[in-house]
Amino acid sequence: MTGIDTELYPKAETRHSQKSSAFKNAKKALRDERISGLTGAFLAFFILGHLVLESSILVSAKLYEDVAYFMEHTVPMAQPLIFIVTIVFFIHFVWAGRKIPGKLRERKMMLELGKKLKASKKGWQQDPKSDIKLRKHFETSMWITQVRTGMIVLATGAFHLFLVMWNIFTDMGVAGQVVGLTEEVATARVASGLWILYGVLMLNVVAHMAIGVYRLIVKWFADTWFVRNYAKALFYFLFWFYTILGTATVIAMAGPLEGILS
Amino acid sequence: MARTLTFKIFRYNPTKDNDEPHIETYELEETPRLNIFTALHRIREKQASDLMYDFVCRAGICGSCAMMINGRPTLACRTLTADLTDTIELYPLPFFKLLGDLSVDTGVWFHDMAKRVESWIHTQKEFDPTAVEERMDNDTANKIYESERCIECGCCVAACATAQVYPDFLGAAGLNRIGRFMFDPRDQRGEQEWFELVSTDVGVFGCIGMMACDDVCPKDLPLLEVFSYIRRKMNSGVQVAVKDLELS
Ligand code: HEM
Ligand code: SF4
Ligand code: SF4
Ligand code: FES
Repeated sequence: MTGIDTELYPKAETRHSQKSSAFKNAKKALRDERISGLTGAFLAFFILGHLVLESSILVSAKLYEDVAYFMEHTVPMAQPLIFIVTIVFFIHFVWAGRKIPGKLRERKMMLELGKKLKASKKGWQQDPKSDIKLRKHFETSMWITQVRTGMIVLATGAFHLFLVMWNIFTDMGVAGQVVGLTEEVATARVASGLWILYGVLMLNVVAHMAIGVYRLIVKWFADTWFVRNYAKALFYFLFWFYTILGTATVIAMAGPLEGILS
Repeated sequence: MARTLTFKIFRYNPTKDNDEPHIETYELEETPRLNIFTALHRIREKQASDLMYDFVCRAGICGSCAMMINGRPTLACRTLTADLTDTIELYPLPFFKLLGDLSVDTGVWFHDMAKRVESWIHTQKEFDPTAVEERMDNDTANKIYESERCIECGCCVAACATAQVYPDFLGAAGLNRIGRFMFDPRDQRGEQEWFELVSTDVGVFGCIGMMACDDVCPKDLPLLEVFSYIRRKMNSGVQVAVKDLELS
């Protein structure tokens, strides 16, 4: 903290020189925020579409293959999109993750505080029988959830993306006989035990995406008609709709529903 | 039916040698419309004459009585015991310097914040005391008024996880103060000056939107709305600022 001086109401000063370091820092901070927010928004839109298209397997294997054919050959956007999503995925991880060192610094601060407390023998604990949980706040917990789910998505999502990219050169036509993604390929992949990984990825992506969308809207549009309550309603909708849809899709691919499906 | 309330109060006097932080328990009969502030008075009168806590106005105006009441930073004078459980836990606000028991020093932090955001109207105009006041449209006046209602209680800063981690973070009260002057047409600070002050990791982009400040502000200030305004202003303002730079 700076010292207290008593000069009240000094004249407005023009302190910004051209290309001052303050200006550069400010530009960098804005750029960082734009990158993490825009990549997050892009990935969120992608996931919204991706999970709906995947869920076409719930209707029939035929529809699933028609959708895959349409995306790969009619439009063809599936192949380039994989590369774009993978790149954006890693950019987002680096830029959104820039807030995580705060977490580490927090841990360090807590640790130091704890050590000092211990050294001074002035530690105390909250009464375990306490009626209250100290400082539990829903939206704050949400952000912590986002950091955690983000880590899990990084691990499982990277695996998924590489598998799919690998498939472009094998199953999807270049090296293999099968041209394009088929219901068989997808189901075999999920049913072969990878359903655990896909389930974990799906649940974490959905939670991370729904929270991210909620926070993005509140951060940028809380003073427009899109008020916080609407954003929160959207969060609940996205979270539950996609959790249910995604769970059903993973189960369908993992096998128990085989036979029921054509 | 009058309840007997149990108060668990954080006690620690840093000026006393070998005092240790600890929780002390007091019991008090609940009376109609009892608030925490009055309850603390009664405890001090009969049970703990050395209990430290702050108050001035008793009416939610001065902002001095903020403390953690059952885990939530809020004003003691505006909290009725009827709204709380039988056991009431009182802690001082975190983040600020502890003076003793429930009393913290919010003044130094707010003074420092006011200096950092240069919390006064920047203008080169000479003040003419005989002139008629300039008119301002109602929407602008209302916006300024809403931000100006901040009583500097510090609840928003105490509730903010970002503020706990980055002590330099301007906090909700600081960002709100910036908004107040950005709304004001009399303040002649230009895009670039705002940009350098606000578009930083201890300014508006340090805020990660956890909304705790908005949820706890005892004066219900529209904090999230003000932050959104500032963010978008920074987002569009930078082009203007960059152009300014290239021209100059
Ligand atoms: C590589 C794995 C990922 C990691 C490590 C990660 C991490 C993070 C973190 C830490 C934040 C908080 C940033 C902040 O508060 O400023 C965040 C925000 C966000 N993430 Fe992710 N994320 C990942 C993948 C994804 C994916 C796949 C999606 C799309 C479904 C996504 C969508 C979002 C959105 C919309 C935000 C909000 C952006 C903002 O508030 O500025 N993220 N991410
Ligand atoms: S929205 Fe969250 S991070 Fe931002 S100032 Fe409020 S409590 Fe702090
Ligand atoms: S913004 Fe609200 S919570 Fe923060 S200091 Fe002002 S009145 Fe208190
Ligand atoms: S005593 Fe002034 S706000 Fe509570």
